[in-house]
Amino acid sequence: MGGGGGGLSVQPKVKRGSFATVRKKKKRVGFVLDMTPLVDIAFLLLTFFMLSTTLTTPQTMEMSVPPETENVEVKQSELLTILVRDDGQIFKFIGDKKTNPPEKVALKDVKALSINENMRLENKLIVSLRISNQVPYELVIKLLDELNIAETEITQRLSAKGMKRERKFALTPLTDEDKEDLKPL
Amino acid sequence: MSKIKKKRVGFVLDMTPLVDIAFLLLTFFMFTAKFKSDTENEQKFTIKRPMASADTSKVPEKDLAMIKIGIDTVSNDTAYYYSLSNEQDRKIVYNSDKVQIPDEARQKVILKITDLNVLEAILKQTRSVNIRMRFAIDADKRVKYKWIEDLTTVMRKSNATIFNFVTDRPS
Repeated sequence: MGGGGGGLSVQPKVKRGSFATVRKKKKRVGFVLDMTPLVDIAFLLLTFFMLSTTLTTPQTMEMSVPPETENVEVKQSELLTILVRDDGQIFKFIGDKKTNPPEKVALKDVKALSINENMRLENKLIVSLRISNQVPYELVIKLLDELNIAETEITQRLSAKGMKRERKFALTPLTDEDKEDLKPL
Repeated sequence: MSKIKKKRVGFVLDMTPLVDIAFLLLTFFMFTAKFKSDTENEQKFTIKRPMASADTSKVPEKDLAMIKIGIDTVSNDTAYYYSLSNEQDRKIVYNSDKVQIPDEARQKVILKITDLNVLEAILKQTRSVNIRMRFAIDADKRVKYKWIEDLTTVMRKSNATIFNFVTDRPS
């Protein structure tokens, strides 16, 4: 309203619309914007996204099974059989069950067993897993995990000898005959 | 006297760095956020995955056929739950006349399957629709191995010989 109605006033120098002169006097030094609402919203969204994200993504264990038509003949001496009984107890035998009766193994010893046997037979070993269908799935994965951990070490040791690792592995059901054999143990 | 003169009127704190960091974190979490898929929305059970430390590969996002074995939280019974990540493939497979499922199930995202013959038909159909399809088995760690054994037998029959077990990393 500075010079709006000043037509008849004593200040003829101040023309209509000459706000510029007034504004210049109000020159802003250190402009401050209140950022509090901005920060409020930013943090609100931040907490929402932080709490709604899941950072742990599941992983996978890859398996391959032979197609049903395939039947592979193997040498018995190169076969390591790992059996899991209904109660989750693990047994192993090498070659023929009659000459080499199954022995108990603890889950934590499976890794060492796999490494030792694989190094003894140098890449020829075939691991056959016969798992009872009554054990929880968790135990099966634990057992496979132990074998997978052993696998990395076997690959390393074999490549040090200049050999390429070929994993031979089978998952077969536990037969009634096996169950009978394992009962007294 | 001097104390009175120094009295702060309208205290101002420079919030610019704070806002910078807040927005940086906000953008990071916004871009990494993944929202629940249709599959998870329809799911009525939670899966406690087994732990495995040797696994490093991630679950593929494309061309994935997921077979879940879950224990229902209400009725406490176990069943197979089938889902496909590609919507087009899903429509073809679910609406195929070779797959014997009730009509109302064809519209769903997750199929609850209790009959192994139906599962075999679905697996075969899935493989004929998309040959690159990858199979993943996501089972609860408490289920009996029988469920996995039956499933792998069916998978062998339908020539899906490569599959993945979904696990969690031990914390």
